[in-house]
Amino acid sequence: MNIGLRKINFGVISVVMFIISPFIALIALIAKLFKVDIHNLDPLKKRGPYSSYLVSKWLGNSGSAQHNRTFSIFLMPSLATFSLFVIYTFINGVYLSMTNWNGLNTGHELFVGLSNYVSMFNDYGFVYSLYKTILYSLLNIFAINIVAFFLAMLVTQNLKLKNLYRAGFFLPNLIGGLVLGYIWQFIFNRAVTSLGGSFATSLLVSGDTALLGLIIVVTWQYAGYIMMIYIAALQNVPQDLIEASKIDGANAYQRLRTIIMPLVAQAFTVSMFLTLVTSFKQYDTVMSLTNGGPGTLLPQWIASLFGLSALPAVSSNNLIALNIYQEAFSRYQLGVGQAKAIVFFIFLLSVSLLQVYYNKRKEVEL
Amino acid sequence: MKKLIVLVMALLIVSSLTACTKKVEKTLVIFQNKVEINDVLTTYATAWGLANDVTVEVKTCGGDSCAYGTQILAEFQAERQPDIFVIEGMGGYNVYDEKIMEFGTDAWISNTDLEFKVEGKVFGFPVAVEGWGMAYNKTILDAAGVDIEALKDVSQAEYKEAFDKIQAYYDANGMADYAVVSMAAASGMYWVTGLHNFNGYLSAGLEYSDNSVITDLNNGIVDEERLAQLADWFELLKTYGDQAVLTTGTYDDQVGKFADGKAAFLHQGNWTDSSYAASDFEMGYLPHATMATGNDSIFIGAPSYYVINKDSEMTDVAKAFLEDLAATTAGHDYMVNQAHMVPAFNSVTLVPSTPLSASVMAWNQSGKAYAWWQNDMPSGFGMDTLGPVYELFAKGTTTKAEFIAQIKAAIEGLK
Repeated sequence: MNIGLRKINFGVISVVMFIISPFIALIALIAKLFKVDIHNLDPLKKRGPYSSYLVSKWLGNSGSAQHNRTFSIFLMPSLATFSLFVIYTFINGVYLSMTNWNGLNTGHELFVGLSNYVSMFNDYGFVYSLYKTILYSLLNIFAINIVAFFLAMLVTQNLKLKNLYRAGFFLPNLIGGLVLGYIWQFIFNRAVTSLGGSFATSLLVSGDTALLGLIIVVTWQYAGYIMMIYIAALQNVPQDLIEASKIDGANAYQRLRTIIMPLVAQAFTVSMFLTLVTSFKQYDTVMSLTNGGPGTLLPQWIASLFGLSALPAVSSNNLIALNIYQEAFSRYQLGVGQAKAIVFFIFLLSVSLLQVYYNKRKEVEL
Repeated sequence: MKKLIVLVMALLIVSSLTACTKKVEKTLVIFQNKVEINDVLTTYATAWGLANDVTVEVKTCGGDSCAYGTQILAEFQAERQPDIFVIEGMGGYNVYDEKIMEFGTDAWISNTDLEFKVEGKVFGFPVAVEGWGMAYNKTILDAAGVDIEALKDVSQAEYKEAFDKIQAYYDANGMADYAVVSMAAASGMYWVTGLHNFNGYLSAGLEYSDNSVITDLNNGIVDEERLAQLADWFELLKTYGDQAVLTTGTYDDQVGKFADGKAAFLHQGNWTDSSYAASDFEMGYLPHATMATGNDSIFIGAPSYYVINKDSEMTDVAKAFLEDLAATTAGHDYMVNQAHMVPAFNSVTLVPSTPLSASVMAWNQSGKAYAWWQNDMPSGFGMDTLGPVYELFAKGTTTKAEFIAQIKAAIEGLK
């Protein structure tokens, strides 16, 4: 609790400094022009409430004012780059999402208000992408975390060669997602199908099973990385608690449920967050594995939302990042693409904040 | 030491003087986008420049390392703008139309059918042509007893008959891993279906300049009769196609099947020529039978055009350069033998050494060409919208009626 308060304090102070510091620097500069040395103002002289705050905390020669001034000056370079590359870019992005920008009419794009946002939700392809991304992310988070936790439990047992296993499970994570997609495309389409029988049809052919193929690939790639986080957490579980529970007669399941799980809850928070964000942002592997495809029919319930009588064809693994890319760079609707990116940003931000909030509540501290 | 400094100073002064006195030469700047022809084009251009008393400078920007579309904007801001640059059809024209000069009545225009025209005025010189049709393996067709000449003006029924003959020949000789057609419709290959195959709907059976169907499409109007014939044609292709290549094949799978001599027909263009170094059979092009009857041409177009900068002071030289490229034997030699391109000009008698390019050139010179309209569809429509529709039909998820209905709905959505 104490730590939490201090964190908040620090956060508030940073934000205040963040806003105030440019003004202080400006005041100091102007004062220089008028030959007033603000740094020698007497902090003890009687003033009104606002100016006494300014002098004692920012302008005078008291210790805290000097400290604050130094702080803000040192903040400047990073603040400048942060404003240029994050704040300005973000605001400009929000603006462009409300224009008909197509990449060629830069400078004379027309402001179209919220119509890009409206058109996005009138597009069944985007709604389908959103639905498919949520479905994929849910399944993927479960698959990766379960596999990773299981692997971590496995390689923290007393095994011979356990370091070799750890390295082996981690290794796929070192292969780039694009390369991996092409390798697994070959495995699914050529190697597995050559087994014949019920394997004769590749997973990637049907729109219903291609998502499963993608989850297999991504789990194979990412579980080793998440496993490392779980290993670190598992190794931090105090052995005396385990021993005590053994003496009390707890079986393996009880130990896992009541001792290990709560104590590695912090690792769950981190891992769930990482898998959540990477799942939603999935682009490279799905691009190389199936190029967003294979084609499939739009689900009936989405079609009826849009009042379509005949089911149109859509790309089944067209996850949202891919959909945004196509909107922007293959249909040249950069404004609409930007609007989609903003919606995606807000959506992902709120989902991940919720996730962290709920996971945090499950954490225990010793 | 002092002497050395004096000497160096003297040399510097002399060299700077000569630099000053050097008379300002005429320089023609060509800014082009094909990295692979940079060297041969420079050689040709230098030789041409020597003969015509100008300096020709070739600047190249393309491939993965240089974005031509971005760099050209920078070139226009520079003091020395390029005199000749490249556009890739209507999209590029719309961006640079203020910079592009009309050609007027240059001689090369009567020598080609592929000049770039807007509202009847000629603006672009075709760099090269590419084409696609049904590439055939002569060895298999001969062995199966299919008459190639008879298929040069072809109906869907005649193709079906030929496909059946080939399949019967495979069955009789136990050639189980041979395919009649190598066709790909999987998600990485949507350009083959959504652009190339669908272009048949836009241009098959029409005059080369007839843009009525594409104009209708962009206004959301469907030609149901043509669409039904296209569906019949694609159904024929997928029925006789290799199923693995059709549903999961990559470009390498599709072309490899044909290059290995294990497919009688290939649904691809002449850019696949580089894959046939080890192929030991004769090949050529036959028309797509997009329409039920009377298909006598293959799809030929120019993917890029040279255009002349309106603000250039060298427009006459630029025109002469392009004219000589189209009219002289040196120009023909450069295009065909050095740059390995298919020239768009009917007067060229040199034959490309690669088989499919040679076939495209023959079809083009005999005037048997259907146009390319696929790039005039809205961006992304062919691949992102039509691609999945084709794939579902290819896999058998949808019926032919649903295929037609989906394409119809997609086109009507363009209104």
